[in-house]
Amino acid sequence: MHRDRALALTRLECAELENVFALLLVGSFIGFPAPPSFIALELMPLMEKELAIFGRRAYDSKDMLGELLGVMGVD
Amino acid sequence: MVSSTLIVFLGALIYLVLYFTYGKKIERDVVRASDESPTPSQRLYDGVDFVPAHKAVLFGHHFASIAGAGPLVGPAMAICWGWLPGLLWVWLGNIFIGSIHDYLALMASVRYDGKSVQFVASDLISKRTGRSFYYLVFFLLVLVVAAFSNVIGTMFVKNPAIGSASIFMTIAALIFGVILYRLKWNLTLSTIIGIVFMIISIWLGPKLPIPLSYETWMVIFFFYIIIAAAIPVNVLLQPRDYLNSFLLYFGIAIGFLAAFFTFRGMEIPVWSSFSPVLLGNQPTPFWPAIPLVIACGALSGFHSLVASGTSSKQLAKESDGLFVGYGGMFTEGMLSTTIIVAIGGFGFSVIQTEAAKAAYNLTLNADNWGALYTTTTNALKLSPPNMIVESFAAMTAASFLSFIPTAIVKVIAGLWISAFALTTLDTTNRLARYCLTEMLLPAKEKMGGLFSTLTNRWVASIIPAFIGIYLAWSKQFSILWPSFSAANQLIASIALMTGAVYVAKKLQSRFSVIAVAPAWFLWVTVTCGIVWFMAIVMPPSIAKSPGTGWILQIIMAVMLILNILFIVDFVKSRKS
Repeated sequence: MHRDRALALTRLECAELENVFALLLVGSFIGFPAPPSFIALELMPLMEKELAIFGRRAYDSKDMLGELLGVMGVD
Repeated sequence: MVSSTLIVFLGALIYLVLYFTYGKKIERDVVRASDESPTPSQRLYDGVDFVPAHKAVLFGHHFASIAGAGPLVGPAMAICWGWLPGLLWVWLGNIFIGSIHDYLALMASVRYDGKSVQFVASDLISKRTGRSFYYLVFFLLVLVVAAFSNVIGTMFVKNPAIGSASIFMTIAALIFGVILYRLKWNLTLSTIIGIVFMIISIWLGPKLPIPLSYETWMVIFFFYIIIAAAIPVNVLLQPRDYLNSFLLYFGIAIGFLAAFFTFRGMEIPVWSSFSPVLLGNQPTPFWPAIPLVIACGALSGFHSLVASGTSSKQLAKESDGLFVGYGGMFTEGMLSTTIIVAIGGFGFSVIQTEAAKAAYNLTLNADNWGALYTTTTNALKLSPPNMIVESFAAMTAASFLSFIPTAIVKVIAGLWISAFALTTLDTTNRLARYCLTEMLLPAKEKMGGLFSTLTNRWVASIIPAFIGIYLAWSKQFSILWPSFSAANQLIASIALMTGAVYVAKKLQSRFSVIAVAPAWFLWVTVTCGIVWFMAIVMPPSIAKSPGTGWILQIIMAVMLILNILFIVDFVKSRKS
């Protein structure tokens, strides 16, 4: 059961990498100088779910403390 | 004579009965949990953050996140009052405060789309209350570094085998990580190899002890904390967490079995005095000082953040909440009960053995327990973690598990504490960096240069590590631990008040007193405890070591101000 916590840490890192990937792809829409806009446009229809998660995470970015403590655990 | 078996049995029985009576009443009449309302894991399912989990799996995840070195060390200190007061605080505090705190934080978050208790506090009480979490958590992290480094440092000095076993375990975790992630071996095979390495580490510890001074360990911890925070989680943190899981459940199994089957009477007094010599070597009144001594076994503010940070996003249905939030806290209470039983049943024999070894003139007895316990254990270098290790080994040797060599049991018990504490040290800097960034955000516009310097990855890591290790350097455990507990209990107080406001305002339950009364009791107790600590304990400690003393005094003063501001906002929010 404790393994779930270890797994959660990997998930968190994976989620962060996915965020970076999503940012690379759609960064140009929010003013990031990201060159591959055409790739982003091509991949857009396939990334509906990721973009929805991306949007929600952006909305929740001010409420990360609990999640960080939940994953990393200090006690 | 009350036996260890009876206490463990009674503890389990009380928790079980109250779970099905008091707990169920809270679920039904206060929170009004209903499986008709979909939880965030169903409503907002995304396959990543919001995923419904089986309640047993979620319980395991939640319990592993809330269990740490805290519920072990606090009860070991409280033994100074005799074994009963600490036990009663663990049981009653857990039932009437801690479990309600965890459960309400979880359920309020579930009803708030999985938002954290910090967000709920911002919404229900005030924005200022929400922001105060960053400051409290940051102070808490600094104090965690200080208190936990001291805990493991004193343990490694007293028993160098535990220090070497911890180093071997760290190497084992690194190798396990390489096998699993770089070489991509099968998980089962990697796990078997990891466990074999872990067993070798435990066996090798007593063979190759590493006797280093306390100061050397502190320097090692300082660099370790900074390096551990900078490397990816799958190199050290995650593999060690995985291997620790086996150690955790093995340790708990040995502890429960040994405590239950020793049939041993309590050899330390039931009760010593209301104000034994404890914190800062000052007479320490049970009330209001007890939450500064026992935090996590009875109540912990961290739990509210864990419950509302991740557990609430995975709760499959509302009726699972009681098992996960309320039941998780009860299990932690049983963990603390086992420690009290181990020290209560074997602590005095341990002291006698150590006194004989050191040719120390032992005058400690049942009549002067409260007055001499702290002085005696300090003289014998039996800090609370050392008392746990020695008593745990003595308890195991007195049970049917006596076939396990005592030296090995000591290493297992020590590793149990150090593994939890080291994992915590791994993570504190990552969390502190986040808090520091949020705390300094208002200064970003006016002092952009300072902001970017202080929030730089390395600078932000060094700040809490340096302050924490500097504090630990003074070896003033008896003021470091209560400061850590105070920060923890302040967060708990705010979280419980938030839960109480949620119940009273949003649910308008006529049984809201079940949440409001303990919230007020806790706030008053913790506030009085901090004022007493700052006024009575700190002045002599400041005179003894001014650097550590003043830093702690300033941290406590800021926390006290935040606590007062919070109650003002709380009263205002109730009126509105």
